[in-house]
Amino acid sequence: MFSKLFYWFSILLLLTLVLVACEPQNSNDSSGKKTVDPNAIELTFTYGSEKEDWIKDVTEQFNTSNSKIQNGKKIIVKAIAMGSGDCITEIVNNTRQTHIVSPASEAFIKIGNAQSQVKTNKNVVGSTDTLMLSPVVIAMWKPMAEALGWGKKPIGWSEILDLARNPQGWAAYGHPEWGRFQFGHTHPEYSNSGLISLFATIYAATGKTADLSLADVNNPKTSDYLAGIEQAVVHYGTSTGFFSSKMFANGPEYLSAAVLYENNVIDSYDPQYKLQLPIVAIYPKEGTFWSDHPIGIVEREWVSTEHQEAAKTYIKFLLSQPQQEKTLKYGFHPGDPNVAITSPIDQAHGVDPKEPKTILQVPSVEVMDSIINLWKQHKKHSNIILVFDTSGSMKEQNRMPNAQNGAKQLINILGEKDYLSILAFNTSYGWSGKDLLMEKDRQTALGTIQGFFPAGGTALYDSISSAYQYMLENPKEGKISAIVVLTDGADTDSHYVTLEKLLEQIRFDNEKKTIRVFTIAYGADAKGDILKSIADATQAKSYKGTPENIQTVFKEISTFF
Amino acid sequence: MAEDKMPFFGKIIILVVIVGCLAGGYYFLAGKKSENSTSTPNDNTNSTTSSNSNSWKGNTVEIGIAYGTEKKTWLEWAVQEFAKTPDGEKIKINLIPKGSQEGAQALVAGDKKINVWSPASSLYKETFVLDWQTKYNNNPILKEESLALTPMVFVMWDERYQAFIAKKQNLTFTTIEAALKEKGGWSTIAGKAEWGLFKVGHTHPSKSNSGLMTLVLMGYDYTNKTKDLSLKDILEPKFQDWMLSLEKGVNALTDSTGTMMKEMVLKGPSSYDAVFVYENVAIDQLKNAQGRWGELRVVYPKQNMWSDNPYYIIDASWSSKDQRAAAEIFLNFLLTDSIQKQSLVHGFRPANPNVPIKFPESPFTLYEKYGLKIEPGSTCEPPKNEVINNLLSLWQRSQGTR
Repeated sequence: MFSKLFYWFSILLLLTLVLVACEPQNSNDSSGKKTVDPNAIELTFTYGSEKEDWIKDVTEQFNTSNSKIQNGKKIIVKAIAMGSGDCITEIVNNTRQTHIVSPASEAFIKIGNAQSQVKTNKNVVGSTDTLMLSPVVIAMWKPMAEALGWGKKPIGWSEILDLARNPQGWAAYGHPEWGRFQFGHTHPEYSNSGLISLFATIYAATGKTADLSLADVNNPKTSDYLAGIEQAVVHYGTSTGFFSSKMFANGPEYLSAAVLYENNVIDSYDPQYKLQLPIVAIYPKEGTFWSDHPIGIVEREWVSTEHQEAAKTYIKFLLSQPQQEKTLKYGFHPGDPNVAITSPIDQAHGVDPKEPKTILQVPSVEVMDSIINLWKQHKKHSNIILVFDTSGSMKEQNRMPNAQNGAKQLINILGEKDYLSILAFNTSYGWSGKDLLMEKDRQTALGTIQGFFPAGGTALYDSISSAYQYMLENPKEGKISAIVVLTDGADTDSHYVTLEKLLEQIRFDNEKKTIRVFTIAYGADAKGDILKSIADATQAKSYKGTPENIQTVFKEISTFF
Repeated sequence: MAEDKMPFFGKIIILVVIVGCLAGGYYFLAGKKSENSTSTPNDNTNSTTSSNSNSWKGNTVEIGIAYGTEKKTWLEWAVQEFAKTPDGEKIKINLIPKGSQEGAQALVAGDKKINVWSPASSLYKETFVLDWQTKYNNNPILKEESLALTPMVFVMWDERYQAFIAKKQNLTFTTIEAALKEKGGWSTIAGKAEWGLFKVGHTHPSKSNSGLMTLVLMGYDYTNKTKDLSLKDILEPKFQDWMLSLEKGVNALTDSTGTMMKEMVLKGPSSYDAVFVYENVAIDQLKNAQGRWGELRVVYPKQNMWSDNPYYIIDASWSSKDQRAAAEIFLNFLLTDSIQKQSLVHGFRPANPNVPIKFPESPFTLYEKYGLKIEPGSTCEPPKNEVINNLLSLWQRSQGTR
């Protein structure tokens, strides 16, 4: 009896040993794949996404090089790309324990330090080093730039302004076939190039290159100039990369010009893009800014002396010659002056290594804030239709309340002069609000959203088609026209249009059909591909949303307006 | 299965389990042992003969040197070389980068990590000594020697320099002040509207030694003296107006001379037309500027001053006898011929008079065509610290008008 027991016990033990042996072994190498490795020191590094390709390249190299701090711990860098504004905001608001930060330009460090001083009497970052540089330029299709005088004389913001204000558009320059002048830059509160573009416009309006004052900003001539340029903008957005990739993919029909970085222009010569026309960089004669990618160690209590030591080692690596030489490969000027400037920073890639000739001084924080407020008043305003799914499946997994919060966030972010219409749909569709001006009807719009409840099917295509038709027939001149569609499932109830007919109806043609349809595929049952095809047909962007991230998605969409 | 078979099979199982346990135990313990032997912390694997040092017979000691970053690359190299010597095995040098003023303040505040202070120049010495004496009641400096020397220079893009002197004849603080006042900028100075405004830079006088030097030399330029820059000179209203006018047009926000020079080379004439920096910092960047925006031109001010990079061994209560002795040994090492010769590579003039400056590969030969000279103009005396303090106050006032 006893030996039988012992026998079964041994079987059990053997099985257990076998199972244990099959689990991945923790090797003696301390760079194991454990999530919290006591033998490693992990650094969180957030940075402006302009330099993502280079950072990914060199950081992978660093992480596999087995770099250690004095006590033997291995250094692991977790590098996260995002908008320059967000890098800094996260630290100021304590939403991420960042150890190293590198926005695209010094302006964000200045703004961040000022905000941080007010809150905590400390800076976000102390001293910084320059990783690499790239000037902000106006990227334009070469024939269009030549029509403005590029190559023959210095040109800049004043030429852009004249073109933007001219009701004939490109026809006034001998090219009616190019249609209207369409311009793009990112949202200045979220993206470095947008912020820089705004400062440069204000400087051009005043004729100065330094010492911008509040009086300059408040001068009516300044706001006139700004409004003149902004009326040609097609939309804003957080990502310079988004503009550049859309511009490359869709040609002059989408944009005549955009405010980008010099390295984006260089990138356009990559054979993968198959551009119909080359793009060149205009270095505005009134002056521009260098994006000089400062990197610094964050000054907060979660950055220990070990973190600081590790951070210094990583930064030193980034600043050493081989890594600096690599920045050229990605179209940047190296931060190390010992590395000579070579191809691709040359005319063959649409850029001029001897430019820019004039740079502008970063304004004081007080002036920067007043400029942003001026922009909010004079930016291009929007006319938006929110097409909102209220079908029965929105009951599941908390979809409805989260989506309502997201939509309300969008409504709260819209400016006073923006218009909103709301089309709710399930088995059929119905207008819950038309042409609500935010200045008067914001609360009404918020209340409408709050009143939704889930029930019924999904007449997706019919609803989008109806919204589109309404906007076509009731255009608001001089406004960004957009439809934001949120749905959590496939179309089940449309009677009037199929997907093919819808795509044909909405396809962007740069003349009459210029409404952008942003789509959110909400939840796992939504048809992401179909929604993407709808957004792509209208030169807009599609998103995948979940109840957890839907508020962020709405926030991002709001930055286009 | 007959009852008889099970016990035999069972015995096999039991045997396997026991053997397995024993084997596992063996490998586990063997693994632990090898882990211990490979992860030994840095025990002196390169300790050869321990008692071979001729000069240093004491215990292992660590000293901290607060130094101005102009000499960063040279000092870091010297520390590495020192570590290879017998003395260097026992004497560990901690280099602590600090702006010249910052270093003095840290010492007076009682920073125990610092045993030696090596600012860029002796401009701060008097203030430091007075502050120290007030707090600690003794003279802080046990021993002082100059490590390396460098004068000040204007550095300008050659094309713009030629255009400038065609109109103004010379590059001096006086002609710069006149140029900064020109409302049309380069359009008025040289008919070159596309060059924008005339842009000059020097570092922040409160944070950087070269910035402070700039103010002192402005004073000597204005008074046309080479010594005894007095309080009376500084308080003269015409001088004050002149200096305010100059400073209003200058970009003086960088803390570090090296960073400002780097920025000039990286960003070209769009950032600065001219800067006022140490000669060694200019030498560092002369070749990098080539092929970027054209050549650079080095011009010496008529009245100049040496940054003599003094090495002060401090008589602090926290410095042990060993630390003071070690500091002296490192000082002597820094003054040896080979270490001094290397300072030339970094653009310095060696303090050791045995080391020649002019020879074929010396930067003073190679870069003569850019304006580099052995004789840097008349040398001025450092003024009294009350003059320095008043210059700084005057400068602060010029910033208030921005």
